[in-house]
Amino acid sequence: MARPVVKKKYTLGERIYLLEILKGMALTWKHFVFNVKASFRPGPHTVPTCWQYPEDRTREISPVYRGLHMLCLDEKGREKCIACGTCAKTCPAHCITVKKGKRKEGEEDKYAGKMYCASFDIDLLHCIFCGLCQEACPKEAIVLGREFELAQYTREECHLDKQKLLANYRKAKEEGKLRPPRKAVPVVPAPPKPEVKGASSKATEVKKGQVEVKKATKKAKNAEKAKSGD
Amino acid sequence: MNQDPVSQVDQERLGELVTINIGPSHPAMHGTLRVITVTDGETIVKAEPEIGYLHRGVEKLGENLTYHQFIPITDRLNYCSAIPNNVSYEMAVEKLMGIEVPEKAQLIRVIMMELARIADHEVCVGILGVDLGAFTPFFYLIIQREEIYEIFEWYNGARLTNTFGRIGGVDADLPDDFEERWRELKPNLRKANEETEKLLTHNRIWMDRTIGVSAFSPEDALNWGFTGPCLRACGVKRDLRKDEPYCMYDQFDFNIPVGEHGDVFDRYKVRMIEMEESIKIIDQAYKLYKEMPADAPLKARVPKVIKPPAGEVYSALESPNGELGFFVRSDGSDKAYRIRIRPPCYMIYQAFNDLVKGGMVADLIACISSLNVVAGELDR
Amino acid sequence: MEGWVIAIIKVVFIWVWVLLIATVMTWVERRGAAMMQDRLGPNRAGPFGLFQPLADGIKLFTKEEVLPKKAHKVLWNLGPLLFALPAFSAYAVVPFGDKIILGGKEIILQVSDVNIGFLYVLAIGSLAVYGIVLGGWGSNNKFSILGGLRSTAQLISYEVPLGLALLAVVFVYGSFSLRDIALAQQGTFLGFLPNWGVFKQPLGFILYMVAIYAEANRVPFDLPEAESEIVAGYHTEYGSMELGLYLFGEYVNLVTLSTLVVVLYFGAWHIPYIDISKFLGPVSWGIVSFLILYLKVAFFLWLFVWVRWTIPRFRYDQVMGLGWKALIPLALFNLFITALFIQLSA
Repeated sequence: MARPVVKKKYTLGERIYLLEILKGMALTWKHFVFNVKASFRPGPHTVPTCWQYPEDRTREISPVYRGLHMLCLDEKGREKCIACGTCAKTCPAHCITVKKGKRKEGEEDKYAGKMYCASFDIDLLHCIFCGLCQEACPKEAIVLGREFELAQYTREECHLDKQKLLANYRKAKEEGKLRPPRKAVPVVPAPPKPEVKGASSKATEVKKGQVEVKKATKKAKNAEKAKSGD
Repeated sequence: MNQDPVSQVDQERLGELVTINIGPSHPAMHGTLRVITVTDGETIVKAEPEIGYLHRGVEKLGENLTYHQFIPITDRLNYCSAIPNNVSYEMAVEKLMGIEVPEKAQLIRVIMMELARIADHEVCVGILGVDLGAFTPFFYLIIQREEIYEIFEWYNGARLTNTFGRIGGVDADLPDDFEERWRELKPNLRKANEETEKLLTHNRIWMDRTIGVSAFSPEDALNWGFTGPCLRACGVKRDLRKDEPYCMYDQFDFNIPVGEHGDVFDRYKVRMIEMEESIKIIDQAYKLYKEMPADAPLKARVPKVIKPPAGEVYSALESPNGELGFFVRSDGSDKAYRIRIRPPCYMIYQAFNDLVKGGMVADLIACISSLNVVAGELDR
Repeated sequence: MEGWVIAIIKVVFIWVWVLLIATVMTWVERRGAAMMQDRLGPNRAGPFGLFQPLADGIKLFTKEEVLPKKAHKVLWNLGPLLFALPAFSAYAVVPFGDKIILGGKEIILQVSDVNIGFLYVLAIGSLAVYGIVLGGWGSNNKFSILGGLRSTAQLISYEVPLGLALLAVVFVYGSFSLRDIALAQQGTFLGFLPNWGVFKQPLGFILYMVAIYAEANRVPFDLPEAESEIVAGYHTEYGSMELGLYLFGEYVNLVTLSTLVVVLYFGAWHIPYIDISKFLGPVSWGIVSFLILYLKVAFFLWLFVWVRWTIPRFRYDQVMGLGWKALIPLALFNLFITALFIQLSA
């Protein structure tokens, strides 16, 4: 387990320390002069790498940014959500709860689908902003927006209910910060049909067979039970 | 198991030795590492790393989440570079299901993984500088990392925890402005690296602090299970990208930098050169990507609910830290029966005592930074 | 009667002045570092963030004082005092200008012109190490002790080359009085070089510069408080104004050492080739000499900042190696050469 001993070989310039230190100082000086000049420029965003954040909000945020959630309305102002619950099932953090409601007569201008969400709750304290819910949503109803200032004073404020989610959508629409429509990822086209058919039918056959066997054993067991019961 | 480390060293010298507890909250400990050191003055007699301060039960979570739900969890392993973690996990599941990922998706994966590699190395080298007292290069590098994160943000909306890719492909195409951003970023990356080299590489103080510190022989490194830059710094030419190519890495022309002594300086150098090589790979991958038709598939046909056939699989890739592997065992249901992660720095961190013994406290800090031990990955 | 009034005025003046410089230095340090690192630095409090030191001071004063369990109470309280006091009192013999004539009375701009001012500076300078060691020991913290030990070894080792380098200056100018040395640097020698210490003692100057970086615990010699290794070294456990005294004492130390560099090696208040005092009245010359001196000091203070944000830090054994194996032999060599020159030219 002997550790190798390394012999240091230095050139003369390296050996006397000062030369390389002076070179380094020239570099830092260059940065210093550049930044001092930049910081005297008018405008908020002077030194190229620094945003004076609360005042300077000029930094462009990606249109697909995964920030605060919202529930979208369609062009006619109807709720898109059909309360299928896919988002709740997909969520890795289990932070979404959806309750179904059935659209009544005369509510067609309010809800787009036959079902709608009676309540839609997201616990932001659990959410990890992975964006799986918006990807799973068949109607593009739930969407993660560009709003990123999520700090709140109380736990209750971190709980998004349906009204807040809709309000988020309206706010985003007002500011023109809606997420662009989802681009479908092109999927490999399905392979030629006959192969698929053969494979799938075989699989189903096997399955059927298994099921039948299971049923048979169940019947036998039941029969046995009945016998022993006697 | 958890004995007092003092009692494990020479009993006669007990009175002369001091136990110093470095970590879990210490300015130089990355995350929540803890090293119990026994020192003789400043010389380290024994250094015993203790892990588990960031244990979040990631592997157990994998058993209770569906295959897709686990992808965001893998972000949280090595939080310096989430994308290789995602891809490694996805590759494991794809291997289990026998899915062929479309070439374009593979290219996107390569581009993003190499960007993540650059980001990870930048953090590592920068932090190494900070720990050795050179604060300035850190900022030159970290600014460029921000630009890389910008690309990630415009790709799928997150900067750090990307949740990149899906099983069978990727979740989005490269954004339209990728080419422009990359063209802008490339010279800046090179400039930042150059400036870092100018400030550090030939500075004698830096050389004194790094050359020969925690040097390691290739045999020992292999025996301990080193991978990645730390192994290559020892002089072993092992890189999964070349040795067991995945994601079309065999089509790219790039070099594998190799060190000599496996000391901190070599690790630093290897990382610096690897960044340059990554830039080359991204260029080549993007060229291939451009040649593909615009509507080429990005995702294989995958059922909505993923239920891999029963069986087990191990798949690994070369993450910035080394071989990052995922073992997935399926029982045919929609949740994995068992997921096991092989993080590179776990194996490297095992040898920590051997790496730092006989050095000084300052060397311990240099060593731990150069290994790039990420607590999230280590403790899982 | 009047003598001591003037002395008190001088003391108060220089005390406030040094405090002011040290305060501004904390701002310069942070803004300068930021600018070198492509950042902005503190810019919220006041114009350009100039009130930031003030805000920090208020914060430190109003913070609660926490005494660690089992800390040695006396040593704990003594540490910061012993560190800060020598830094201030060293200024007693350092000139801060030529002289000023007020109401027909000649006032030299120096608190007291002691004829062994040199020894006084060295003696007081080495006192500061007690503050560090006592603070480190009294804290009852292993990191603090390590910091204190590092500091002791470092300061003691670097005091030798520092003293030897200064001794060569004494050889050249033939006086222990700092004012005499400053005055002797007027004019030129060999026809074109200014009569400055840096030209007569180039090697000594470099040695002195390196040694003061170690004395002031600045990068690359900031091992006693290397935050990435031993948290904050000797002041790990300190908070509130006790920490403030340590931090402040450090900056005051910088000012003292920089002033000494200027007085000994950079011609104090002289400008090469021109004797401004001829063109100015006695009062204005006093003020101008003061300003010239501190302009030069400002450069050396800036140098401290500049170097700090450029290079990494040494390791403990490397510091010792550099001190004993390189600087001390070089300093002895320098002394020998100087003595030889003086002997030959006499």
